[in-house]
Amino acid sequence: MSREPLVIDGYLLQASSGETILDAARRAGVEIPTLCQHERSGTKGLCRLCLVEVEGWRRPVPACATEAIAGMVVHTESEGLKRLRRVLLELLALETNLEHDKKAQGLLARYRARPERWGAPLADRREREPLQDNPFFAREYDKCYNCRRCLDACAEGIQGVWAYSFVGRGNKALPATPLDLPMAEAGCVFCGNCVQVCPTGALAPLEEVLLAEGER
Amino acid sequence: MIPLRLEPDRVVSTVCPYCGVGCRVDLYVKDEKIYRVMAREGPPNYGALCVKGRFGLGFLGHRERLKQPLIRRRKGAQLEPVSWDEALDFAAGRLSKIAREHGPDALYFVSSAKASNEENYLMQKLARAAVGTHNVDHCARLCHSSSTAALSRSLGGAAMSNTIEEVGLADVILVVGSNTVETHPVIGAMIKKAAANGSFLIVADPRRTGLAEAAQLWLRLKPGSDAVLFGAMARHLVVSGRFDHPFVQKRVSGFREWLASVDGYTLDFAERGSGVPAAKIRQAAERYGAARAAAIYWAMGVTQHSHGTENVQSLINLALLTGQLGKPGSGLNPLRGQNNVQGAGDMGALPDVYPGYQKVSERRARKRWAALWHTRLPEGSGKTMTEAFESVERGALRGVYLMGEDPVTSEPYQDHVRRILDKLDFLVVQDILKNETFPYADVVLPAASFAEKHGTFTNSDRRVQRIRPALRPPGNAKADWWILSEMGRRLSARLERGRPQSWRYSGPEEVWREVRRALPEMLGGVSYDRLEREDLRWPCPNENSPGVSILFTKGFATADGKARMLPAPWKPPDETPDDAYPLVLSTGRVLYHWHGGTLSRRSELERVYPEMKVEVHPADAARYGVKDGESVWVASRRGRIQATVWVTDRTPEGVVFAPFHFAEQPANKLTLNAYDPTSKIPTYKYAAIRLEPLAEPTGES
Repeated sequence: MSREPLVIDGYLLQASSGETILDAARRAGVEIPTLCQHERSGTKGLCRLCLVEVEGWRRPVPACATEAIAGMVVHTESEGLKRLRRVLLELLALETNLEHDKKAQGLLARYRARPERWGAPLADRREREPLQDNPFFAREYDKCYNCRRCLDACAEGIQGVWAYSFVGRGNKALPATPLDLPMAEAGCVFCGNCVQVCPTGALAPLEEVLLAEGER
Repeated sequence: MIPLRLEPDRVVSTVCPYCGVGCRVDLYVKDEKIYRVMAREGPPNYGALCVKGRFGLGFLGHRERLKQPLIRRRKGAQLEPVSWDEALDFAAGRLSKIAREHGPDALYFVSSAKASNEENYLMQKLARAAVGTHNVDHCARLCHSSSTAALSRSLGGAAMSNTIEEVGLADVILVVGSNTVETHPVIGAMIKKAAANGSFLIVADPRRTGLAEAAQLWLRLKPGSDAVLFGAMARHLVVSGRFDHPFVQKRVSGFREWLASVDGYTLDFAERGSGVPAAKIRQAAERYGAARAAAIYWAMGVTQHSHGTENVQSLINLALLTGQLGKPGSGLNPLRGQNNVQGAGDMGALPDVYPGYQKVSERRARKRWAALWHTRLPEGSGKTMTEAFESVERGALRGVYLMGEDPVTSEPYQDHVRRILDKLDFLVVQDILKNETFPYADVVLPAASFAEKHGTFTNSDRRVQRIRPALRPPGNAKADWWILSEMGRRLSARLERGRPQSWRYSGPEEVWREVRRALPEMLGGVSYDRLEREDLRWPCPNENSPGVSILFTKGFATADGKARMLPAPWKPPDETPDDAYPLVLSTGRVLYHWHGGTLSRRSELERVYPEMKVEVHPADAARYGVKDGESVWVASRRGRIQATVWVTDRTPEGVVFAPFHFAEQPANKLTLNAYDPTSKIPTYKYAAIRLEPLAEPTGES
C-alpha cells in the first residue's frame, strides 16, 4: 500500500481503501456541498453539486462517487466550481419549489444564487398536483428535484420493495408508481423510509401536512 | 436537515412501542400531537422504520384511551369513576382479602411485555414480595416460552445469541417460521438486503412469505414438521461427515444420545414427513453446515405448537452440531415479538424465575431475594398463565391483576376464556385502552403509554434503551410504575409483608437502581447516565464494561460449561384434519396489525387493513366452492368466525391462514386448548377446520 498521502484543500491525510473523496473530506473536516447523496439509501452521483477538481484530471468529478486515491490533490472550492454550483442551484430553484428544503436554501445563499437572472420560474415541475392516495404520507412533486433517494430507499438501499420508478423525461421526469397506481397497489409497504430520506419535503407525513394546513 | 413544515415544540428521542427490534425513533411534537416519526441513525435500525412505528401511533390520542380510575363495587353493578386513592384502596382491599382467605396463590399477576423493565420488575415484586406468590407471568408464555425453555436447558441463556447488526455478516441465513418482512420488518429488510448482497438465504415456512420469495432456497414444509426436517438435516451432516467434530467434542454434551434419537430421520423419511424434497433438504443441510458463519432466526412458526420445545431443540441441535455459535454472524436468534418481551423475562415476570433468570427452586436465590425484599418467599414455582387460567373453574384461582394484557383476544379458545373471566371473584385491568377484557373488570386503572413516561426497554438482541415522555398522559392516567408502587405499598402494609416504605420510589430511575443492585453481573453497568451516551446490552457487569454482543464465545452458561444436545423427536399434532374438518388452520400476523389489535386498530393502520382476510389456496377454494372476496364461516370443533376469503397460493394446499388481530372475528375462537408440556405454550399454528358458506348457518353465530 502506498504511503503517499492524499491532499484535500491543503489537508494531508492517508487514503483508506474504498473511501470516497467525500468521506475523506468529511474526515478532514472539509465540507463539500451535496444534495442527493445519502448513506442509507445509497444514492449518489446525481445532483453534481459535489463536483471537485483533481489536479491532473481533465474534468471535475463527483466527490460522492469517486474513490479517494493516494497521491490525489483535490480542490473542493475553486472559482470554476463556485460558478458551476451556483448555476446548478439556480436551475433547481427555477424548476422546483424549495420552500421546505432548508439545506438547498442555505446553499442558494452560500453561492449567492440569483435564479431570477435566468427569467421566470419554469412551470413544468411547479405545477404538479399534490397526491394524497394513502392515509400515511403525501406526495407533492412540485417540491421534488428528482434526487432519487426515495427510489433507492425503496429498492436496494433499504427496503427491497421497488414501488417507485422514474417516469417522464427532462423537466417532466418524476418518481412515480408503475402506471401511476395508488401507492397501496404498487407494492408499497408504507414503511415511510422514502419520507425519512426525502430532502425537500416533497414526501411528508400526512399528519404533518394536515396539521400545517390547519386541518387537524 | 429535515424538511419540516412545522417547527416542533419538542423532539423526543425514544423507542418504538411495537416489535422486539427496538427501533430508535424521534417523535416530533406540536400542540401535544405527534406529527412526524423519524428513525434515528445507528443500531439497531440504522435510520429505517416500518409502517407501524412510523405511522401507527394514532392510538395515543384515541378516544378510547382510559383516563379515569373506575371501580365496580359489587358484581353486576356499573363501573363508576373514583379517585386514584379510592381505586387503589378498593383494589388492595379486595386483593388482600382473597390472599388472606384463600392464600396468596389464589391471586395471579399478569405482567406486560409492553411495559418497561422497571414496571415488570415492580409487577413481579408485587406478586412475590407484597403478596407472597410466584404466580406471575407475561405474554411470552404465548410466543417464545418454548424457545426460552429449550435455550435455557441447552445453553443456559434464553436470548438472541448474536445481534441484529450481524445480519449482514452471515454467509448463510436460515429463517424458520418467521414472516420477518411483515412481523419484524426492519430486520426483514436487512435479511433481504443481505441475500441480495450474497448471503445464501434459506427460508423454511409453509407460507410463501415475502422472505420466501427473496430466498435462494425455500423449504415449504408441512405445518408442524420442523423437528423432522431439522433432525434430518442434522443427521445428514453427521452421516456424511460434514459436522464440526472439534466443536462437538470440546463444547457439547449429549451427542451420542441425540444421534441415536435421529436414527430413522433419513432424507427420504424427512421428505415424507415434511413434504420437502430430499434434494432440497440435503442442499439446505450442506449449505448450512459448510458456512463460515450461519445464523438461524426463528419465530412463532416454530414455537407455537404443542411440541414447540422440541421444534426449537431441533434448531439448537443443528447449530451445536456445526459449531455455528459464539462467533460473529452466527448464532441462534429467536425474533422477539414485543418491544420489551426480552426485558419482561429478564425482570423475572415468570413463575419459575426471579429477575436475572435465578431459579425460584434454588435456595440461594430465595435467600437473596428474601433478604433484598425483607420478607419470606415461597419455595415452589408459581403456575404458568395458561395453567392458572385453567384452574379458575376449580376455584383455585380467584383474583387476577392484568397489566397491559387482553386475554380475551390473545388466549386460545376464546369462549373458554370468557367463561373463566366470568367466574373470577376479582379482576384488575390496568391498561391504556379499552380492550375486549375490559367488560369483565372490577377495577380499571388507566395507564400512561410508552410515549408518556420514563423507563427502559430491552430489545430482541439484549440492548437496553431509554424511553422518554413526549406527551402528558391523558386525563388522570398514571405511569404503570407509579400505580404498581402505590399498590405495592398498600398490599405490603395490609398483608404485613416486607416494608411498605420500600415501595416509595422517586421515579423509574430509582427502581432501575434497585434492579442493578440486585443483578450486578447482568445489569450493574447499565446506568441511566450511561444510556444517555452509550449503546449497552447485557451482560454488562460494571461501569467500565461495554456489554457483551456475542454470547457463548468461550463457554455456555451451564454447570459444566458445555451445551447440551437433546433428543427432539417429532410428534404428531393434537388434532389432525378429517372428513368433518378437512383443513388445517394456522394463525399469525400481518404487516399492518399488531397482536390483539388494541393499538394498531386504533390508528391509521386500520384504514389500509380494516377487515379479517383468511388465506385459502386456489385448489382448496375450488374444492370447497369458495371465491376470492367471498364471506364465509371458518369453523372448528370449538366455534366459528366469519371472514373474507383471499384466494392465494401464499398459503399451501390444505392450510388456511388467519390473522388473529380482529377482536370481532377472533381466530382464537377456533384454536385448540392444547399446550406444550414443557413450556405450556398453546398450539396456535395447528387446528382442524372447515369452510362453510354463510347462507347455511349451523349452530350459534
